[in-house]
Amino acid sequence: MELQRIAYALDAELICGPDDWEKINIETVFASDLMSDVLMSDRDEMLMVTSLSTEQSIRSAGIVGSEAIVIANDKTVTEGMIELAKDQDIALFCTRHPKFESCVRLGRIMEV
Amino acid sequence: MSEEHKQPLQSSLRVQELIYGLRISEVMTSKVFAVSRNCTMRDVQTIMKNNSITGVPVVDSKRVVGIVTMNDLMNALEQGAMEQNVTRWMVGEVQTLAEDMPLSFAISAFGKFSFRQFPVVNKKNELTGILTFRNINHALIRELSRQLRQMEQQSEQPVEPASLNLSKVYQLHRYDFENGGKASSEIKKFLKERGVPPKLVRRVAVASYELEINLVAHSIGGMLGFDINENRVKISSHDRGPGIEDTEKALTQGYSTANEWIRSQGFGAGMGLPNVKRVSDEFAIESAVGMGTMVQSIIYLKSEKENENQ
Ligand SMILES: Nc1ncnc2c1ncn2[C@@H]1O[C@H](COP(=O)(O)OP(=O)(O)O)[C@@H](O)[C@H]1O
Ligand SMILES: [Mg+2]
Repeated sequence: MELQRIAYALDAELICGPDDWEKINIETVFASDLMSDVLMSDRDEMLMVTSLSTEQSIRSAGIVGSEAIVIANDKTVTEGMIELAKDQDIALFCTRHPKFESCVRLGRIMEV
Repeated sequence: MSEEHKQPLQSSLRVQELIYGLRISEVMTSKVFAVSRNCTMRDVQTIMKNNSITGVPVVDSKRVVGIVTMNDLMNALEQGAMEQNVTRWMVGEVQTLAEDMPLSFAISAFGKFSFRQFPVVNKKNELTGILTFRNINHALIRELSRQLRQMEQQSEQPVEPASLNLSKVYQLHRYDFENGGKASSEIKKFLKERGVPPKLVRRVAVASYELEINLVAHSIGGMLGFDINENRVKISSHDRGPGIEDTEKALTQGYSTANEWIRSQGFGAGMGLPNVKRVSDEFAIESAVGMGTMVQSIIYLKSEKENENQ
């Protein structure tokens, strides 16, 4: 599924991202606020949804191969996070919806 | 929490890392002068004088039962008790070190206790050596000169840009979550640029990241060293405290002593060490309370078959 559709469904606002972010294909999603849980995953997690707005979220997402990350719950995003996301070519979004609601919205448009 | 930490020179960090990783048995004096229970303080005095040493362990069938230091000797001398048995004057409860501990643990022990020497014992608890600060200084000088020699050789032959050879050490500070993760990012980039398969890069990144976070979250600070060649990535984490009481337990999924603040940073799920172990081809952890923790993770870059064929 194209990232553009996901962003629309989540009312997500793009903070930074590569030029052609709209067309990035997302097949897998991981939602967690526990970084070691993310790192335990064996597959590529193309999209990460988290309400933990820290640099460590971006780093963890980068390690498991994420191309996009959505910060839920209307959390503030820091300069450091933006820099890290740019450095790793990750599209960074935030949404006003809480994590659960974001996942429900994702579930409606994606087959799990 | 974001104090500015200046990274010391890479070469000095590397020497420190090399020293930390040495085994006590490689550094200690193996020729130990010890006395048995029925020796006198006079015997100890003779031994100290003839060999210019300041501490003599007391042993009973190779087990350390006490130690007589210069201080004890002075006391006996003052009381005119030089013909008395060592058992009257020795210090009975001796802090020993295990010979296979990393040297970093011993350095912590010197910092923690005000002893000038530690008897060293093997797995059977038998005396096999003695460790003084002088031994550590010698090891330091040895590693320094080795490092210098290496640097000279390296400057003679320019390194190929695509070479996988790298040895690098990062220093990590307590609760400095902002910088925890920098090392693994850099190493990840290094491997990726050299065409290492993404699956392997990811395993290295997971191991080093979790170890970095553990240093920041649980230790008083320490260092993370990388030693990379075309066959494998070796990651070693050293710190000098507080140590882990039960490493078996620390390796079980979900076990964590993380406080609320660490949890608020997204850590403390108790999956870190199990994660490191899972992604490693070789894994080892050693820890002693009050002295430190050492974790080593090796990830093969070539399949084992290829490694064997070399
Ligand atoms: N370097 C270290 N120094 C002291 N204790 C450590 C160190 N690394 C790990 N530990 C201990 O082992 C436990 C488990 O570690 P880990 O599996 O990484 O889980 P977590 O970091 O989520 O607590 C920690 O909670 C801590 O008690
Ligand atoms: Mg951990």
